[in-house]
Amino acid sequence: MSVTDTLLVFVGIPAAIVLVIAGLVYAGSQGGGGGAKRYRPGRPFNFTPVWFLGRPEELADSGGTALSVGAQAPALTSRTQEQAGVEAPTGGTGGASDRW
Amino acid sequence: MTVGEKQHAAGTETPPDVLDGPFSTRQLLRIDEALRLADRTTGLVFSVFVGGLDEPIREHAERLHRQLAEPDRSVLIAISPNQRQLEIVTGRYARKRVPDTYAKIAALSMVASFGGGDLAGGIIQGLDQLSRYAGKG
Repeated sequence: MSVTDTLLVFVGIPAAIVLVIAGLVYAGSQGGGGGAKRYRPGRPFNFTPVWFLGRPEELADSGGTALSVGAQAPALTSRTQEQAGVEAPTGGTGGASDRW
Repeated sequence: MTVGEKQHAAGTETPPDVLDGPFSTRQLLRIDEALRLADRTTGLVFSVFVGGLDEPIREHAERLHRQLAEPDRSVLIAISPNQRQLEIVTGRYARKRVPDTYAKIAALSMVASFGGGDLAGGIIQGLDQLSRYAGKG
């Protein structure tokens, strides 16, 4: 075996294998898994606000636009928000609050 | 930032905005299923909001709750991951079905999941607990 042959077999092939594996790992982390979109408490988390309803027709909006399941909450016009604020509070709402 | 400020044209060709949200498609399907189950078994209207809440946080959550069609029969779960705050708002009638103490217990278990970074799991668990407390409607 000449020197070039030896180099090719003992350096070239391992280097090729290492490159292939590194490439696969990189491709995997880019694609699925959603590692980048994971919520970690204490770190800023950027996302579009969402509002889910089991029955989309349940949202009372002056415009009458229904909110489909999983759709982004409709852009509430300032008027809608004002109305909601001015409306006589239903009173007697309960519930709970917590922090983590 | 409130939902109202996010006013961009609802894309027709672009993928739905909800995919920019905090959940993967599989998580969305599970949350959808949990919501439908909770609604059907209890007769109440469950709703989940995930996003920033303005100060005062409780008032903002109650304002969102009032925007639902039947606030009295509705239960809103408002979650703000960045503020690390959870609010459960029950309407007048819903409160009789889910007393505040039970809402607090559900909140505790949800917060435990959120603290571990599992938003979808916490939501599903909370919905399950709340609907179990409410019983059949």
